[in-house]
Amino acid sequence: MLKSEKGTAASLRLGRGMEQWSERHLRYLMLAPTVVILLALTIFPSIYMFYAAVHRVSPNPDLPWTFVGVDNFARLLTDGQFQVALRNTVVFTVVAVSIEFLLGLGLALLLDKFIRRLTFLKTVLMIPMMLPPIAVAITWKLIYEPQFGVLNEIMFRLGLPIQAWAGDVNLAMFSIIVADVWQWTPFIFLLMLAGLASLPVEPYEAAALDGASSWRQFWDLTIPFLKPVIAIALLLRVMDALRLFDLVFILTGGGPADRTKVLSLYIYQVAYRFADPGYAAAISLFVLFVTIVLSTWFMKRMRLAE
Amino acid sequence: MVRKLCLALAVAASALAMSASAWADITILVPSGSEGDGLRAAAADYAKLKGTKVETVQAPYANVFEQGANAGATKSGVFDIILMDDPWIPFFAENGHLEDLTSYFKNAGVEGPDNDFLSKSLAICRNPYNEGPYVCLPYVGNAQMFFYDAAKFKEAGVEAPKTWDDVLKAAKMLTEQGGGRYFGYVFRGGQGNPVVADFMPIFWSYGANMFNEDRTKVTIDTPEGAEAMKMFMALRDVSPKGVESYNANEVGTAMAAGTAASSINWPNWVATFEDPSQSKMVGKISYSPIPAGTKPGSSEIGHWTMGIMAASKNKQEAFDFMMWATSPQQIRISAERGNPPVRASVFTDPELTKQEKFRHYPVLMQAIEASTPRPRHPKWPEIENAFGIELSKAVAGTIKPEEALKNSQAAVEEITGIK
Repeated sequence: MLKSEKGTAASLRLGRGMEQWSERHLRYLMLAPTVVILLALTIFPSIYMFYAAVHRVSPNPDLPWTFVGVDNFARLLTDGQFQVALRNTVVFTVVAVSIEFLLGLGLALLLDKFIRRLTFLKTVLMIPMMLPPIAVAITWKLIYEPQFGVLNEIMFRLGLPIQAWAGDVNLAMFSIIVADVWQWTPFIFLLMLAGLASLPVEPYEAAALDGASSWRQFWDLTIPFLKPVIAIALLLRVMDALRLFDLVFILTGGGPADRTKVLSLYIYQVAYRFADPGYAAAISLFVLFVTIVLSTWFMKRMRLAE
Repeated sequence: MVRKLCLALAVAASALAMSASAWADITILVPSGSEGDGLRAAAADYAKLKGTKVETVQAPYANVFEQGANAGATKSGVFDIILMDDPWIPFFAENGHLEDLTSYFKNAGVEGPDNDFLSKSLAICRNPYNEGPYVCLPYVGNAQMFFYDAAKFKEAGVEAPKTWDDVLKAAKMLTEQGGGRYFGYVFRGGQGNPVVADFMPIFWSYGANMFNEDRTKVTIDTPEGAEAMKMFMALRDVSPKGVESYNANEVGTAMAAGTAASSINWPNWVATFEDPSQSKMVGKISYSPIPAGTKPGSSEIGHWTMGIMAASKNKQEAFDFMMWATSPQQIRISAERGNPPVRASVFTDPELTKQEKFRHYPVLMQAIEASTPRPRHPKWPEIENAFGIELSKAVAGTIKPEEALKNSQAAVEEITGIK
């Protein structure tokens, strides 16, 4: 065999080898960036958060982190601002999610028969939840503006006293709940609508033959059938409500008089305004713990009920 | 072939991403709004003039602090210069985020900034205040002024308000006549920075202060503090409903729309008030220094200052830019772009002061010279938050004013460790 022919055969073998190697490993190569990014954005920050939560972290980079054990967690018991934020978060979550659930379910039951034909209406109802939370917050800020806001203009024209919707201590939390209900009721509504569409017809026909009233059918058939959907809807909304930030940040900044300060806003303040990431990590872990406990308990209850 | 092309593209994209952050000679972190816009424009001029690549990163007010603090804590060196609000200086300086400028002045053959800068503007750039080395240079000469509708005040029997009693007298009458649609006074009552910013000048006007001279005692809950609080509450009673959530925008809008007769505000609002496309009050708003209480009135100083980040890799280039940007010529250009100056020669430049849009300059210069800095403490953001919560409660009426003072005293003692 000539020298040049040998060389050509060798390079062909090498090329084929590379192709086979790339055939076998390319999928891993292509996946690698995503895996690396996921590790960097989820696993590493979680470990870092646990580590920070047991340290006093100085904003001065030349000072070492001091191990403080559970001190940051113990602070939660005596920190008045944390307790206020916790109470406000619980109030917001319970009230907002309850209203959203009742309205969403009620609307779904009312419109179940018609909505399948009215796709336009379904699209319109979906708009609020498609909007970025920051846009929703700014829109409601303009609506609530005491001097120039549309809500007070209507009140004034109707001869009713104008209100400081986001500025009054008795109305501020209510105003945030209204904005949240406006945005997230469609989410519950759509889930309930999907649940209602999947209900079997036979049990209702049998119940009707047995003379069961509509109320009886709703209570003994619809609700039990819908339970898995209800569980998912409530769980998702509760988890989201516990993380409320945008509406409060834009509408009230946690005021007036701390009446709307929620946990996410307080964590943000502690971490970035007061430069105390160790304590902020401890509060975040507390919220994470509460969310896990709550969701586990909730799912267990729903499974037992099934 | 397609696979090979994909791989090549991925490698090229990664290389580009890695080098993108390193293209500029100087990177400057600036706030949104006129202050940041002004420095950004100056940076573009500098780049053209000197051939230096200058990158400006613009962020909302609170995010500038956060990004600066993060960059400082991680020694990332991502920013070479930060345009800071002056109450942040102790935090940045005492946590080692700012470069001491002494050696740079020495290398430039000067002892420090020249005497054309206003003395109060320079005092805030030293840490500790007015004593330590320079850690920044002043760029935007903000200090609060008192804004009022002179015609309305005259109708209410007050020619030019000299004291807070004058303001209250006129404001009370105007609010009573306003029928719930017009108010004699408006202020930033929003929890945190807003309410503290609008309370401090009144607090100082009654001889109160947050700490005693040698910083061994917190002095919020004092008879002077109580008098200031009494006036603040009286002014609240003649302000619009909802003032508890007001920030600068709401106050500025109320003044520009002619629904409020007076307020404390920052000078950058002058441009809005004098712009017919944004204001119904063009030529109608008068400016004065902060009214007196039992002591002469004093504005809160709120300068924007440029400092070099300690982790910067381009410190000399950054210093050269700062010296150029704060030269008399550049401060004059900055003034024409809408930012209040920090140099006496620009404040008194007849070419500027004869123009209607700069008619507030004599008052502003006086306000800066009579100004007081917010208490200089590295934990100021935390102190401001705690004080702001108690003031917000008092404004909202959920606690008595005297309770707000007592609680603030306890909270600031707890934060600072000063008992």
